[in-house]
Amino acid sequence: MTVTNVDNLDRTSALVKHDVGGRTPAPIRFLKRIPVLIVIGVLLVIEIYPLFWMFINSLKSNTDFLNNPSWALPEVWEWGNYVSAWLTGNLATTITNSLIATVPSLALIVILGVAGGFALEVMVFKGRGGILLLILAGIMIPVQMILLPLFTIFFNLNITGSLLPLIIIYTGHGLPLTIFMMATYFRAIPREVFEAATIDGSSMLRSFWYIGFPMVRNAVITVGLVQFFLIWNDLLIAITFASNRSLNTIQAGLLNFSGEYGATDYGPLFAAICITTGGILILYLFLNQQIMKGLTAGSVKG
Amino acid sequence: MKQVLGDRKTIAILLGPALLVYTLVILVPVVWSFGYTFFKGNALEGFEFNGINNFTRLFTDPDVQAALGFTVKYALLLTILQVVFGYGLALLYTFVLKKSSAIIRTLVFFPVVVPTVAIALLYQKLFQSAPKDGLVNELLVNVGLGSVDWLGSGTTAFIVIVIMDVWRSMGFYGVLLYTGLLDIPEDIIESARIDGARGFSLFKNIVLPMSLPILYSSIIFSINGTIKVFDSVFALTGGGPGNETTPLTLYMYRTAFAFSDYGYGSTIALVLSIMCLIVTALIFRGARRDNTI
Amino acid sequence: MTTAPRSRRLRRPVVAALAAVGIGTMILSGCAAGGSSSEPTKLTYLKNTENTNTEPVFNELAENQCKTENTALPLEVSSIPQADLDSQIQLLASQNALPVMFAAAGTPAEGAKLDKAGKLLNFETELEKLGVLDDIEPAAISTIKNLYGGNFNFLPFQFNIEGIFYNKTMFAERGLEEPQTYDELVDVASQFEADGITPFTASGEQGWPITRLISSYLFRDLGPDALQKVADGDAKLTDPEYVAAAQAIADLGAAGYFDDNIASLDIDSSYNELLTGKAAMMYMGTWFLESANDPEKNTVGVDNIGFMPFPAVEGGAGSIDQYPANVGLPQTFGADTYTPKVADWLKCITENYGQVSLEQSGAISGFKSKEPVTDLPALTVDVQDRIAGSTESVLWFEALFNAKAGQDSSKNASLLVTGQLSPEDFMKLLQTDLDAG
Repeated sequence: MTVTNVDNLDRTSALVKHDVGGRTPAPIRFLKRIPVLIVIGVLLVIEIYPLFWMFINSLKSNTDFLNNPSWALPEVWEWGNYVSAWLTGNLATTITNSLIATVPSLALIVILGVAGGFALEVMVFKGRGGILLLILAGIMIPVQMILLPLFTIFFNLNITGSLLPLIIIYTGHGLPLTIFMMATYFRAIPREVFEAATIDGSSMLRSFWYIGFPMVRNAVITVGLVQFFLIWNDLLIAITFASNRSLNTIQAGLLNFSGEYGATDYGPLFAAICITTGGILILYLFLNQQIMKGLTAGSVKG
Repeated sequence: MKQVLGDRKTIAILLGPALLVYTLVILVPVVWSFGYTFFKGNALEGFEFNGINNFTRLFTDPDVQAALGFTVKYALLLTILQVVFGYGLALLYTFVLKKSSAIIRTLVFFPVVVPTVAIALLYQKLFQSAPKDGLVNELLVNVGLGSVDWLGSGTTAFIVIVIMDVWRSMGFYGVLLYTGLLDIPEDIIESARIDGARGFSLFKNIVLPMSLPILYSSIIFSINGTIKVFDSVFALTGGGPGNETTPLTLYMYRTAFAFSDYGYGSTIALVLSIMCLIVTALIFRGARRDNTI
Repeated sequence: MTTAPRSRRLRRPVVAALAAVGIGTMILSGCAAGGSSSEPTKLTYLKNTENTNTEPVFNELAENQCKTENTALPLEVSSIPQADLDSQIQLLASQNALPVMFAAAGTPAEGAKLDKAGKLLNFETELEKLGVLDDIEPAAISTIKNLYGGNFNFLPFQFNIEGIFYNKTMFAERGLEEPQTYDELVDVASQFEADGITPFTASGEQGWPITRLISSYLFRDLGPDALQKVADGDAKLTDPEYVAAAQAIADLGAAGYFDDNIASLDIDSSYNELLTGKAAMMYMGTWFLESANDPEKNTVGVDNIGFMPFPAVEGGAGSIDQYPANVGLPQTFGADTYTPKVADWLKCITENYGQVSLEQSGAISGFKSKEPVTDLPALTVDVQDRIAGSTESVLWFEALFNAKAGQDSSKNASLLVTGQLSPEDFMKLLQTDLDAG
């Protein structure tokens, strides 16, 4: 294997090992940290407060929510909101559907997108710039505008009664951005790395899989994350192509809490949001651990 | 060497599937849809040929001008803020917090996870002014300023939209740019340090130039997201009051479906796409390795 | 190298990759495909998510009164948010794939378009054939005809009239009577304002609760055909007598008779203002009865909320007993999927809907109730009597507008009452939309 070639290019190990402030005495170092700590404190309050806000409001009755300040604690802790959230929001079904729609799309986007980005940035062929520009154009297309043609196509393919249209659209829609971003990441890697590998007799396909892919692992995770949330939070495509209740995704299910003349069931709505985002947050924390392990391990598995 | 890097079979295997899916799902419908720009009508009542009337209408439609104005204003401001804040966070993660940044990165990232509907509701309540003041107005009143009907006028509603979107996206850009900063080879920074580069000069001479590629793609990513802004505005203000916070996408969606003029809607979309393309091509040209396009 | 072998080389991996992608996704998504033949095998019903009244009634009908029909053609409900309903209906109609029964027409103009395209069933003919036309309130039929292009082409699963809900105690404490004229109404408002009570609560975020006041004023002042004339092109919203109505409502805003910061007040909060005794009056449709009859929401007491018509304008051509009426976001049957089995369902629905709806939630529909339902709250009974006694109904402000004018109207209403948009400019904006067609 060509691990030695790659080793010095692996930037995944912790970036700065030594501490600049190491030579200064401890109290001064602490004082120096104060502005940083304040910045971080403010940042966390700003970013975390809503989590808390949503949680306390998920436990209020509608009357409580409307009559008292929204940052106050509930008058009565309405745990029942979670039950009605689960039932009204049809969460068992919608969570399943969201997963069925998201996971395959994500897998396809990442595999096809990374391969495409590699081909466009590392490989040399005529028309490369043109294709890249064409793909770039795809990022700009507002999806609202291709609803009618897509609907016609999927209807005639007779697949509108399944989640297949969602998977196909998410994949197609996520690809241009992924290809483009992956191309940007591959740009940072000198072509010589791959050329050197092929001298050993390794084909470009092998180089892609064993050298290219591992080298952009960080980027793949980032791009996967981007796409995951774009897909997960999509509402427009989901309600247009999966309006059947048994196909509703989480975002569509959240709309079950609104009334015809504009009224909203706030408590259960926030409860449903807490359940669904809570799940995602735990998943993210877990994955983040894995990702961190991968990053600090600092070795290329091949 | 060129032969290996130019191997057609490899290219076809790597690029073919992506290109095929992309063509079928995006390009074909787009071309199809742009065919409608010469027609008036909708799927229900049928289409009739309209020549270039949609295009002439476009230039005299005050709503398009207003929506375009909003979109440009929003996209410019938000792109700058998103990338600047995101880059600031990324620098903080990489050079100040270092290894201990994981938990903070996750927490700052959190808003990305929350559905738009929920975020919009939260901001409606935070900036609420009726029937009673929300948190922000409460603070304003306490420091002796009056309460403001934030979502009641175009200017203030715009401010709320920008604050909301920066808040929800900066953690994301932080992570995006952080990955880019991680990719700067350590030995380069090390040797710059040995040469005496510290603090700002290290940043200016080494870190900034090295992170330009990821900055470019962040800007492109951001500008395309912001020009196509839809969800957050739709959920927070619905484009109101009046049409003061209506972006082109929302106007287009309403024209096509609510106002049943799919042809004119497609025309607006075409303009939007061309706009994005020009901006991106400009940025892209500057960033490309071997200026082939 | 020639092009031919190159393309052959390209093809194979592409096909293989495509097959892999296809199979992978098929497995994961469970490729269930719905047939699109014209003979329906289910009573498919697409409703707006926000409407939560019809589904429980249908479920009960399917289990009891219409059990036979449901066995022959099982009910299957799906729902979509109101905001996307029009686009979904358009897409489905373009493929001739409309459900058997569906909600449609966020704006009446859209409903009329569907009818013109021949997509809707004509209930007048069909219910006559089934011998159940008499089970529908004539007032509801005339409202539907007025709204949706002249035919009885939607069903009145809801039937609402609109007027002013008010706090009885607050009126009694000040010795106030229900105002009979607009001037009296303004006078009443000024007394509440002097006492520090919000005279009118209205959701500026929704907008329509404000424009309803403009149309009410217009109907009282210029007569029930005031907006029909605008629709027919015989009058313009920019005519001085029309601008006067917008001016009257803008004046209420200028005098401070609406909530503070009305522009961002949402509808729940607006209901809450009246139901918790912070506001004295609210213009609203009778769907509000559900909230008013809910003791948890209504802390001023169920018996403490009264309902009165919008008062007359002195010297005006309209009369105080003409209530604005509507059938909510209406539901209808598709013309292409109307088979004998569907007809059986339609007959059963027509015969039983009114009764079940009233028993279940006290919701008033345009279907007659076979036997009187007792135990209804006094306010509901009062509204029922008013509906039964009304001879002529009027529409609402945006009813005959095109979608764009309708949108601009509700979006700009709060700007009108907060003085950010003059009455002249408000009406000019809408007239421009109407002229554009």
